[in-house]
Amino acid sequence: MSEKILLVDDEEGIRKVLGISLSDSGYEVLTAESGEKALHLFRHHNPSIVLSDIRMPGIDGIELLRRIKAESPDTEVIMISGHGDMDLAIQSLKYEAADFILKPIQDDALDVALKRVHERISVREQLREYTQDLERMVREKSEKLIATERLAAQQHQRLAQRYQQLFDEVPCYISVHDKDFRLTAANRRFQEDFGYHIGSYCYAAYKQRQAPCPNCPMIQTFEDGQSHYTEAIVTSKSGEQYNVLSWTAPIYNEAGQVTQVMEMSTNVTQVRKLQSHLTSLGLLIGSISHGIKGLLTGLDGGMYLLNSGFSKEDKQQIKEGWQTVNLIVGRIRKMVLDILYYARERELQWENISVLTFADQVAAIVEPKMVSHGIQFVRDFDQSLGTIALDASVVHSALINILENAIEACIEDKSKRSHTITFGVKQDDTAILFHVHDNGIGMDKETRAKLFTLFFSSKGQKGTGLGLFIANQVIRQHGGSIKVESERGEGSHFIIKIPRLHSVEETTVAPQHSVTSTSDAQRLD
Amino acid sequence: MAKKIMVVDDDPVIVKYIVTLLQDNGYATCTAADGLEAYHMLKHEQPDLIALDLEMPEEWGTKFYRRLTKDEKFSSIPVVVISGLPGRHLSIKKAVGYLAKPFDPGQLLDIIKKTIGP
Repeated sequence: MSEKILLVDDEEGIRKVLGISLSDSGYEVLTAESGEKALHLFRHHNPSIVLSDIRMPGIDGIELLRRIKAESPDTEVIMISGHGDMDLAIQSLKYEAADFILKPIQDDALDVALKRVHERISVREQLREYTQDLERMVREKSEKLIATERLAAQQHQRLAQRYQQLFDEVPCYISVHDKDFRLTAANRRFQEDFGYHIGSYCYAAYKQRQAPCPNCPMIQTFEDGQSHYTEAIVTSKSGEQYNVLSWTAPIYNEAGQVTQVMEMSTNVTQVRKLQSHLTSLGLLIGSISHGIKGLLTGLDGGMYLLNSGFSKEDKQQIKEGWQTVNLIVGRIRKMVLDILYYARERELQWENISVLTFADQVAAIVEPKMVSHGIQFVRDFDQSLGTIALDASVVHSALINILENAIEACIEDKSKRSHTITFGVKQDDTAILFHVHDNGIGMDKETRAKLFTLFFSSKGQKGTGLGLFIANQVIRQHGGSIKVESERGEGSHFIIKIPRLHSVEETTVAPQHSVTSTSDAQRLD
Repeated sequence: MAKKIMVVDDDPVIVKYIVTLLQDNGYATCTAADGLEAYHMLKHEQPDLIALDLEMPEEWGTKFYRRLTKDEKFSSIPVVVISGLPGRHLSIKKAVGYLAKPFDPGQLLDIIKKTIGP
């Protein structure tokens, strides 16, 4: 489509001649005889070039120029000026006319002016294109930059999250400390088990101490920049004690100084527990082998008495030999059952039982032995006792163990003429209390202190050192305790306390503590 | 007169066993249930040999043995150790014999015969 040019002149002759000339040059020519008409056409057709006479009635060329430039700064306006209007022509340049040509219009001058206008238009177009390109490029680059930045930020965040996750999920405690032993960071496991406030002291968090721990590996690391380790027992915020193995590592600042120390601690409580189990197992095996040697010697003794008695036809010795064999077989049975119980630390089997029935059954088992040794047996049972939930078979054997100890304490005591064992049961608001009181040989302080330790026996070869250890474990499993009062030569008083912790559904009530439990107890005693 | 042997053991079953064994073989015996009792018994008994158990509740055989060897009057009495604990004989250096429980009665008699005669 050809370029539009608006020709404005009040002289019809000029419009006609110039119009033909411009049409020949390939323009689509619009003509107007006045400024008003020209503005109308301009607004309607938006020509890129306007050729306007300066002197016209009404809106003159200068005013037209100003209005057009105000509305469309890119429209190029060439002024046509008469000879006397040079001042006006120059003034028009101030209003950004592209050029002016003088009347009478020379074709060459018009061509030059038009050419110049075209150059201006094309330069401006190029400039616009450049500008647009530049803007587009800037926009594109900015967008790319923003996207890259966003990606980097996301990656950074992901990385930070991942490291935090690693820090938190490492299966050990990690804490970071400054030189004043203050916590500056701690992983989730540390926080969960020990609580955590930035700035709190490590020895307070770990050990509830008021001052740094002796042999602190962190102090060494601050001094020499090396990793150190230690094993310690720490207390969690819930009060549990853990064995931990701790390693330290220095954290350097930019100047290469150790400003903080990281401590990594592994919970080795299970390992230590296992070790102590193994140790007691070793002790158990030692004790068993020692016990078995004693028992075999005893059996040899019994057999010897029998054989020698038969060959001498000594009835008394045969009887003694037979009693010895019986006694040793009893000891073997007891020892094997002690070991079996120790080996199988079983779950408690709770049942509701009548305390009075239970106490009667226990008493019935030990009474014959007391009678045969001339020991007076006193039952002191509170008749208003109700029921209690406990594992009858194991408590049964624990009580029998304590009662049999009382019998032995009386048998061994030669200083008194008569012996009495009192077996009592009472209750208070929260617990059932069994009492076993004897006036036998009693215990010194040392024996009292070691009474419940594994493999401690005051009975020499006759004891395995398991009985009271197991009795104590059984009562503790019930949440109870065994208290002992005793003086050497005076006798002993055991108080067995079993709290009313559990209540078992009434449907499982076993009012008559079953025969099975009794035989269980006999197996375990 | 028959040679006398003191049997020291806290287990009456074992005491009865050793005593019968020794008496069947012509020895006289006296017995004590622990080291302290044995030491007091030495005031009125003069055994030719002591058969000593080591692990006893009141006073361990090792302690009794130390007392015995320190006392000039008794330090020459030969001692045969009969113990259930392995390695314990190391603390009784001058024992004329060491028997681990369960012991062979023939071996005990051999040692005694070799040491003090029948």
